[in-house]
Amino acid sequence: MGGHGGGAARTGTRDLSGVALIVDDSAVNRMLLVRHLASLGIDAREAVDGKSALESLRGQSADLAVVLLDVVMPEMDGYEVLAAIKSDEALRHLPVIMISGIDELDSVARCIELGAVDFLPKPFNPVILGARVRASLADKRLRDLEAESAAAQARLLATIERQKEELSRFLSPQVAALVSSPEGEQLLAGHRREATAVFCDLRGFTSFSDSAEPEEVLGLLREYHKQMGELIVDHGGTLEHFAGDGMMVFFNDPVPQPDHVARAVRMAVAMRDRFATLAARWAKLGYELGFGVGIATGFATLGRIGFEGRYDYGMVGAAVIVAARLSAKAEANQILLNPRAHAAVEELVEVEDVGALELKGFARPIPTVNVRGLVASAESVPA
Amino acid sequence: MSDELPILDVSGLAELRASVGDDENFVRDLVGTFLAEEPNNLELVAAAAARGDAEAVIRPAHTLKSSAAAIGAARLSSICRQLEFAGREGRSGDLAALTEEARAAWAATVEALRAQGLAT
Repeated sequence: MGGHGGGAARTGTRDLSGVALIVDDSAVNRMLLVRHLASLGIDAREAVDGKSALESLRGQSADLAVVLLDVVMPEMDGYEVLAAIKSDEALRHLPVIMISGIDELDSVARCIELGAVDFLPKPFNPVILGARVRASLADKRLRDLEAESAAAQARLLATIERQKEELSRFLSPQVAALVSSPEGEQLLAGHRREATAVFCDLRGFTSFSDSAEPEEVLGLLREYHKQMGELIVDHGGTLEHFAGDGMMVFFNDPVPQPDHVARAVRMAVAMRDRFATLAARWAKLGYELGFGVGIATGFATLGRIGFEGRYDYGMVGAAVIVAARLSAKAEANQILLNPRAHAAVEELVEVEDVGALELKGFARPIPTVNVRGLVASAESVPA
Repeated sequence: MSDELPILDVSGLAELRASVGDDENFVRDLVGTFLAEEPNNLELVAAAAARGDAEAVIRPAHTLKSSAAAIGAARLSSICRQLEFAGREGRSGDLAALTEEARAAWAATVEALRAQGLAT
């Protein structure tokens, strides 16, 4: 029976939640307002004067969406209640609608100046009441959404920070920072820049790893990676990859480094010194290992390289290949530089000419020098 | 002046009824609340008037004015409005006569509400 009658009454406020606080010393007015609000689907609490209104507000305000406030009341009048609400950090966001008779329009104007959002004329018109209260409920919903979104953002930021920390264990710190930075996407997409590539690996490692126990091989590599890794970080290098005993590090990207060649050379020299200590210890265990480095400077493309699921931040260009070939050519304890790298650090290093090297894939031989060491005046200057 | 206003404003009462979906039981409850709560305000007005305390008249006269208007008690509401304004303007000399008018209007209002079947 009457199947289509029930639904029509339930319109409007189903998606808006929140409670109204009615503050009026007239029991008749409170009763009418409670009734009108109930027909709009809105629950109400009542206060008979300003003092009990504030007690109610301070006791429980989380679900409150709006305050309907009379002006003339015993104990504490509407002005005082309004001023108290607006000066309370926890309550000031609450919309206050003044309940007003026709005689009180002057005081209503004053209340609106004090921060009331609107007024509700007497006698109450349910349609106007509904419109004004709904607007406040919509405001509350927006406010709640904003608060939720701020909380979600804080959680997101915390997650990003945690991921950044986690990433920095796997990526070089510069790349980890880049991934999380606003301009990261642009840099990851690829760009061209002059950069310095450093390849290094161990001489004699292949035969060592064939003859030694796997545990020994891994233990030695771990120590080698740890020591070299520290030096990479100290000099601001971007580690592209480890591969067994080989490492590729580049400089001047993603963070620009005006002294990128000097950093690369200083790092290589420091690595060679550090390696000497390691090698002396390994020699006592019967392992004969040497350390060789190739360094080349040139223009290259840098950015994200790889495929969905596994990307590296990498450097692509002739300089990378030259550095790899020089590293392969280097004898134990040699640090070989291409001409462009050498030109950038002439003042800094003592070198010996090793002649023009034929490198696979390059038509013409490449004049190459070996770094014997840093010039005395350069040794103490930090990289 | 207030004599010109009806004790019960028929159109006001009709609006009230319409605003609550002609729920006669609710209107009766509302009138019951009025009759239970407002004599207190009338007595506060009378006591303040007897003391010549204009300031103390304002609040109870205001509340009674408002409640009376809500149930369509037009004359009582109007007299209470005059009391409220006399109070605000400090005209304590006017209070006694207005209070008498208010008492008479109160009795007439109760009578009219009974006649309407809204009070017992």
